[in-house]
Amino acid sequence: MEHSFASPSGHPQPHQRHFNPYSENGGTILAIAGANFSVIAGDTRQSEGYSIQTRYAPKVFRLTDKAVLATNGFAADGNMFVKKVRQRLEWYRHAHSKDMPIRAIARLIQTMLYARRFFPYYVYNILGGIEEDGSGAVYSFDPVGSYEREACRAAGAAQSLVQPFLDNQIYFKNQTPAHGTSHPAHLPLDHVLELVIDSFTSATERHIEVGDGLEIYVVLAKGSTPQVLDRWQGVTEMTTTQDGERMFVIRRNLKRD
Amino acid sequence: MFLTRSEYDRGVNTFSPEGRLFQVEYAMEAIKLGSTTVGIRTPHGVVLAVEKRVHSPLLESASIEKIMEIDTHLGCAMSGLTADARTIIDHARVTAQNHSFTYDEKIKVESVAQAVCDLALRFGESVHDEEAMMSRPFGVALLIAGNDELGPQLYHTDPSGTSMRYDAKAIGSGSEAAQSELQDKWHKQMTLQEAQILTLRVLKQVMEEKLDQHNVQVAQVHSVYSHPFVHCLTASQVTAEKGFEILDETSLKGVIELM
Repeated sequence: MEHSFASPSGHPQPHQRHFNPYSENGGTILAIAGANFSVIAGDTRQSEGYSIQTRYAPKVFRLTDKAVLATNGFAADGNMFVKKVRQRLEWYRHAHSKDMPIRAIARLIQTMLYARRFFPYYVYNILGGIEEDGSGAVYSFDPVGSYEREACRAAGAAQSLVQPFLDNQIYFKNQTPAHGTSHPAHLPLDHVLELVIDSFTSATERHIEVGDGLEIYVVLAKGSTPQVLDRWQGVTEMTTTQDGERMFVIRRNLKRD
Repeated sequence: MFLTRSEYDRGVNTFSPEGRLFQVEYAMEAIKLGSTTVGIRTPHGVVLAVEKRVHSPLLESASIEKIMEIDTHLGCAMSGLTADARTIIDHARVTAQNHSFTYDEKIKVESVAQAVCDLALRFGESVHDEEAMMSRPFGVALLIAGNDELGPQLYHTDPSGTSMRYDAKAIGSGSEAAQSELQDKWHKQMTLQEAQILTLRVLKQVMEEKLDQHNVQVAQVHSVYSHPFVHCLTASQVTAEKGFEILDETSLKGVIELM
């Protein structure tokens, strides 16, 4: 909208006002898929510029017993988006009398994001969980719905710090296997959890928008035992159904400076 | 027979004092005038068969279409006012396509039957001052056959908006005789070919003309359910999946010869 205002010279000057509906609330999320599990994690700091709005604002959300959604970017959009996805999951459950498979959730998220192509949710999403065939899955999205199934993905403020680390440690990029050996296609759960914690402690050191708390969701496929989790502190089980998949969350502290 | 109903059979959404909707009941009568339609479910798939009434030797029997595909994994056969089925099948097709567009998976047979029933009850619905979209109930019943993650299934939907799952079901003018024949002959472990033959035998019994490949239409769905992963992850394992198929006259002739 243009309004005319008097300039110092006395002549009317065009003046444009604008409204910026978005903000950027920092933080980082990541997800790693194993052979029969999936790990989805995010820090809990929410900030705007140099100020911390809260030290505990979850960015990782349980959708079903086999699917977890992590959102990063503009927190208000992220929360609203998760709310809408959950609503659609419930409608689907009522209409088709089953929980939506993760592959279908991934496609649904694409259609929901693309529906807002010209006023997007300012959010990067990572969906993790267990596929119908029992394999661990990670799907990553851009704000308008492009998506891809991958073995691992980091997003958010410290993406540029974490993703290269994961590329090296998960995909073994720039590593040559010792003669006569090969790199594993999937890593075991305890190893993956170590990588997640290292990723976040390092990101906390080097990025001012990352820190305070860490929430790591672990989704286990049917039949896999949660014994590995016994040696971890702060594990809470989140499973609600008898379907066989089990879900846990590990809560840890990160540096608050 | 209907003389006493004069007051309450006018409005489509007016209950009679006995709690009946006469227009819906009349719509069910329209189906009883329709050509006989038979469906059989087996562990290996579902078979649908319809009688085509070729009332003139000048009529091209191939132009009578009483079985239609809804999606690659399901289709339906109809009895009653077949023109009404167009609207229903259009709706079912759109629903199935929307489902795979939004969820990247095949829609369940039950969900399609439910979508059809949702539409069936929308007669007489109108916004204030606007013309109703549908003025009367549909005069057609469907046998929906399909195959999904729960295996092969057969559903029956009618103008009252109810859908029920059957192992074997007959609708249309010869349905009473056909249904009792199905009750005698159907068994749990039928092969798809046995089912094809049974549907044709049942139709033959209730048809006035001599059954041949021109006056019946047969379709089937195989139970080989291909999981979405078979397509996307292991290209080498992809096998040609038949899905829902309407038999052409040559293969239909083959089945008739086996009777």
